[in-house]
Amino acid sequence: CGAVVMAQKGARPYDRIGEQVFAKVDKINAELFTLTYGSIVTQLVKDYEDLGEVNTQLEKMGYNIGVRLIEEFLARSNVGRCADFTETAEVVAKVGFKMFLGITANVTDWDAEKKEFSLVLDDNPLTEFVELPESYNKLWYANILCGVIRGALEMVQMKVEATYVKCVLHGHDVSEIRVLLKEILTDEIPASMRDE
Amino acid sequence: MGIKVVCASVIGKSNNPLYIRCFDSTEEALKFHYIVHSALDVVEEKSTAKKGASLDLYLGMLYPTEDYRVYGYTTNSKIKFIIVVQEDGDSHDQAIKNFFRKFHVLYANTVANPFYTPDDLITSRKFNEELEKQVKTV
Repeated sequence: CGAVVMAQKGARPYDRIGEQVFAKVDKINAELFTLTYGSIVTQLVKDYEDLGEVNTQLEKMGYNIGVRLIEEFLARSNVGRCADFTETAEVVAKVGFKMFLGITANVTDWDAEKKEFSLVLDDNPLTEFVELPESYNKLWYANILCGVIRGALEMVQMKVEATYVKCVLHGHDVSEIRVLLKEILTDEIPASMRDE
Repeated sequence: MGIKVVCASVIGKSNNPLYIRCFDSTEEALKFHYIVHSALDVVEEKSTAKKGASLDLYLGMLYPTEDYRVYGYTTNSKIKFIIVVQEDGDSHDQAIKNFFRKFHVLYANTVANPFYTPDDLITSRKFNEELEKQVKTV
């Protein structure tokens, strides 16, 4: 399967790396994962009632996951330093998402300065079986992913903003996260540690 | 040869209807509601009759009416599926069993939705659409 992909796309290395790493990591049952995440979201909805607040909380949770997850990622994937932000995007989409969620995302819609891109997800294990009730239009169900991206990239000296712009649960045909590079951090203590 | 599912329903633990959908526009829905409701008594009978031997989830034909036959299927969580079928000729037991199996899987997927509380009415659009597809390909 990896060989076919390479022949078609002219040897995109990150697809192959992603699949190799994915083969080596431990797996858990997908339904258990989906149901666990689902109960987190519904509990948050019950606790906070305001859907905008739930989005914020999910993003914060994701951030805390991301700052820890990056270490696991770097240790397992052996991917070296990225030359530029475009490479970072590919690594996140093909290796990161593959390793932790078993799916690959596509990187599209770069802006002129190469500081902003879209991550397009065809399917997402988090949203399997989920149907949002009608009044939940403001909720970005898988918003935790935006936080994970922000947290992980902050640990490798990139300050980004990740936001959902499209979601299959809202009727779109794909899900799309827009990632914007705000600044490259240089030898600064990250904000989360600075307050102490 | 044809079997036509004219009504499919999901009944909850306390015999409360969670979902009733009729696929035959020529008949009044109420008639099917009544048929399903009376079928519940037969379901009770069948599930309490065989003590310890009821490993089968499929209950078979519950009772025949003049134009239709009613089939039932129960789960260990006391959820019951009852369908009303219009059949010509012999009973196609295997096809009905297959239908129930798919119906069961569809129900399980719908329950997996974190926004659905078990024992609620089923209002999922996906459930409706999938069921329609399954009914067409019985």
